[in-house]
Amino acid sequence: MNLLEIKGLTIQYAMRANTIHAVNNVDLTIAPGQTLGLVGETGAGKTTTARGILRLIQTPPGKIVSGEVFFEGRDLLKMSGAEMRAIRGKSISMIFQNPMSALNPILTIGEQIAEVIHLHEKCSKKEAAERSRNMLKMVGIRPERAGEYPHQFSGGMKQRVVIAIALACSPKLLIADEPTTALDVTIQAQVLDMMRALKNKLNTSMLLITHDLGVVAETCDAVAIMYAGEIVEYGSLERVFHNPKHPYTLGLFGSIPSLDKVVERLSPIRGLMPEPSALPKGCKFKERCDYSCDDCEKEEQVLREIELNHTVRCMRAEGGGF
Amino acid sequence: MLRHLVKEKKESNPRTPEDISVKKALWQDVLARFLKNKSGIVGFSIVVIMILLIIFAPVITRFDYDAQSFPDRLLYPSALHPFGTDNFGRDLFTRMLYGGRISFMIAFIATLISAAIGTVFGSVAGYFGGVIDMIISRFLDILMAIPSLLLAIAISAALGSGPINTALALSIGGIAISARIIRATVMAIKTNEYIEAAKATGSRNLRIIRKHILPNTFAPLLVNATMSIGGSIMGIAGLSFIGLGVKPPTPEWGSILNVGREFIRDFWPMTVFPALFIMLTIFGFNLFGDALRDALDPRLKD
Amino acid sequence: MLYIIKRLIMVIPIMIGVVIIVFTLTYFAPGDPVSVALGEGYTQEEYDAQAEFMGLDKTYIEQLASYLMHLITKLDLGKSYFSNIPIESELMSRFPVSAMLGLFGIVLTVLIGIPLGIFSAIKQYTVLDYGLTALALVMAAIPGFVLAILCIVLFGVRLRWLPIMGLETPRHWILPIATSAFPGIAAMMRMTRTTMLEVIRQDYITTARSKGLKENAIIVKHALKNCLIPLVTIIGGSMAMVLAGSIISENIFSIRGIGTYMYGGISSRDYPVVMAGVLVMAFVVCVVNLLVDILYAFVDPRIKTIYGIRKNKRKKPAVMPGAESEVV
Repeated sequence: MNLLEIKGLTIQYAMRANTIHAVNNVDLTIAPGQTLGLVGETGAGKTTTARGILRLIQTPPGKIVSGEVFFEGRDLLKMSGAEMRAIRGKSISMIFQNPMSALNPILTIGEQIAEVIHLHEKCSKKEAAERSRNMLKMVGIRPERAGEYPHQFSGGMKQRVVIAIALACSPKLLIADEPTTALDVTIQAQVLDMMRALKNKLNTSMLLITHDLGVVAETCDAVAIMYAGEIVEYGSLERVFHNPKHPYTLGLFGSIPSLDKVVERLSPIRGLMPEPSALPKGCKFKERCDYSCDDCEKEEQVLREIELNHTVRCMRAEGGGF
Repeated sequence: MLRHLVKEKKESNPRTPEDISVKKALWQDVLARFLKNKSGIVGFSIVVIMILLIIFAPVITRFDYDAQSFPDRLLYPSALHPFGTDNFGRDLFTRMLYGGRISFMIAFIATLISAAIGTVFGSVAGYFGGVIDMIISRFLDILMAIPSLLLAIAISAALGSGPINTALALSIGGIAISARIIRATVMAIKTNEYIEAAKATGSRNLRIIRKHILPNTFAPLLVNATMSIGGSIMGIAGLSFIGLGVKPPTPEWGSILNVGREFIRDFWPMTVFPALFIMLTIFGFNLFGDALRDALDPRLKD
Repeated sequence: MLYIIKRLIMVIPIMIGVVIIVFTLTYFAPGDPVSVALGEGYTQEEYDAQAEFMGLDKTYIEQLASYLMHLITKLDLGKSYFSNIPIESELMSRFPVSAMLGLFGIVLTVLIGIPLGIFSAIKQYTVLDYGLTALALVMAAIPGFVLAILCIVLFGVRLRWLPIMGLETPRHWILPIATSAFPGIAAMMRMTRTTMLEVIRQDYITTARSKGLKENAIIVKHALKNCLIPLVTIIGGSMAMVLAGSIISENIFSIRGIGTYMYGGISSRDYPVVMAGVLVMAFVVCVVNLLVDILYAFVDPRIKTIYGIRKNKRKKPAVMPGAESEVV
């Protein structure tokens, strides 16, 4: 059985003038122990998808319109508030993009880690404090610093604290929303290495949100490429990386420098993503696509399976007809 | 490289045509946002109606604000006198309208003075920083240490009553507030690259302040000014109420209210109507100012 | 401790600055205090003697210096033009009543304004929030003295529920306190609501939610304290509002406090009294702001660590050997 199975998840934000279609009919699955990379540019709906899983969408204006999110066979979207809270932080936990603001400035980091342990593990405050110090040690921070406040830590150290909070109850699924984007490049590798090691140690599944294909290649077992609220290409790491089929995926690979190939210049994808409040009919990528034809906007594109463990949302992908 | 520089220079000059069109679009955005705000429209309408009432006072009412008529004193509202008459038999509605003239005029002048002086202090302190900033900031600290109404009372007690003195008294307390707003805005803008670019191309300080920095302080200043007009009207009424500010026989809401106190036990119109006018006006300016702030800086809203 | 001393030292120049400003204002004020003090019919000798007695024959600088010296060394605020009672003893005898009124006013402002503002923020987009926001807007538009007059008309004269003069019984205190706190409550409500809305949109609140905490626990443990810290700073401002308002409201309710004393000084152009009143009130505002700053340093860990007021001192470098290469 899959650990997480998202089916037809659709999330919208109702603004005064218009409705923002942030996530449209997204299907994803994560097997136990697996790491799924969710890749896409800013505004593609990655973060909204992640928050949707934990039902952390600000309502109003946001709303989960339809879909199912099965976690260990139970639909999270149908759970009561109390059931959902029992899952958050215990079975599924989340790491946020910006460690600078993710920690409460007026509580010590020890308190913030112990809080989640005390809440879910039914242990005494003293035991929770003890375990929070162990967590600090695990993420490479001296346990004596448990009594200090977030502002006394650097960005990389804060992200370690956030990771300690997320992993404190040994969750089955860790959702990491661009965990290293806000950090210095040198710190990024450290934090990622540590996350990988801890994930393997605790046998945690992970949904890793990123726009860095290099990170995906190093970390993930499977990849989903997201564009304008939709999954446009989805499959195992090898299939997608060795045989990318969607023009957008191809574009993403074309816009990163490579050490092995000599190219005149990088080829960025021209144009911009459509406004999520005014999505075009048919293929959402049509405007920027080099291979587009009239048929692209006639019908809604569906995900087609082009080989085992590899689906693409493009009518031309099936026959390999580029 | 050269092209890059040229482009940057162009961007730093607010006079280029595309920049003006961008500015126009920005103001259209502001207007559109403002028009969506219902309470802002209510506030704006109240302010406009008040201003129209006081401007066209001679047309609206056929009484003279100073015409005493002893037999008609302390009359309750009627068709002839919609708000009744005061203790000298003068039409209260007329005195309300003419009283508004004085209040609005003083409030506008006071706000203008404090905005102008505040802008000078604030932009100099914010732009130059260092010792100049420290001296000005300490001076502002001192001004802020005295509650603004108290300062106004002390100044008008010293200067004496009258419209100009009252405007002066009220403006001094406002200087510190507008100077702080300008200072903060200037310090934030100062770090932008286009200021660096202007400096690099050899613009003089005064020119940089005038061309690049002050235009950006307009929005916060406007919001503050709108709020402060409401506050000044409250201040004028307060000062006149305790016998400073505007003195009888010149009609003014606060002083009418003060005279009305003598008759508080048996004649309500002389206290209730001025109170209503004061409240309604301040209410209008507050709503207007809030909406203006939200429209100019949408980040502050939700 | 260092922080407190630093803040204390900063108050002194501000107070001296206030003295200079207020003194200068009254020095250049129109009107001749000597003839005012003498009344009608006096000779030139009498006039000169009186001027010398009042110290008004000296230059501006000399007068300012002597005023400051008397104030600092003997807490001497001079004499009223009309009575021979030293101003400071008059102020002292009136201080308790004014202080009580101000204190109750502030307490009421905080106790009503902050909870309503928080309530309004966490119920955003509901009828309750719209209602409270509208209420605050209306309240903010009513000056204290206007409200006082309207209350007198309604509760005192029409309904005859409450006494409107003096402070003999606890019932007498109701209207003066309520009307002086009223505008402050509105400001406090609005400020609290804005701050709270800002706080509950912070990432750390989402973090707290993702931990599985209950909404109530999130508000109490994570949001409330972060919201209260910035609010502490506006208590000084509220105090200033209440004090300045007291000049008018004490007079309306015939209360024998500092406000009424100042009011008398204003109407009779008794400048030393006005000056002393302004100084005392500015001083109180300064002290309140000082206390607020000190309080602030104790509740906000960010300031606490800067000035070394902290629970546990850190001795060794905090980075585990080999684990971290960064410094900052």
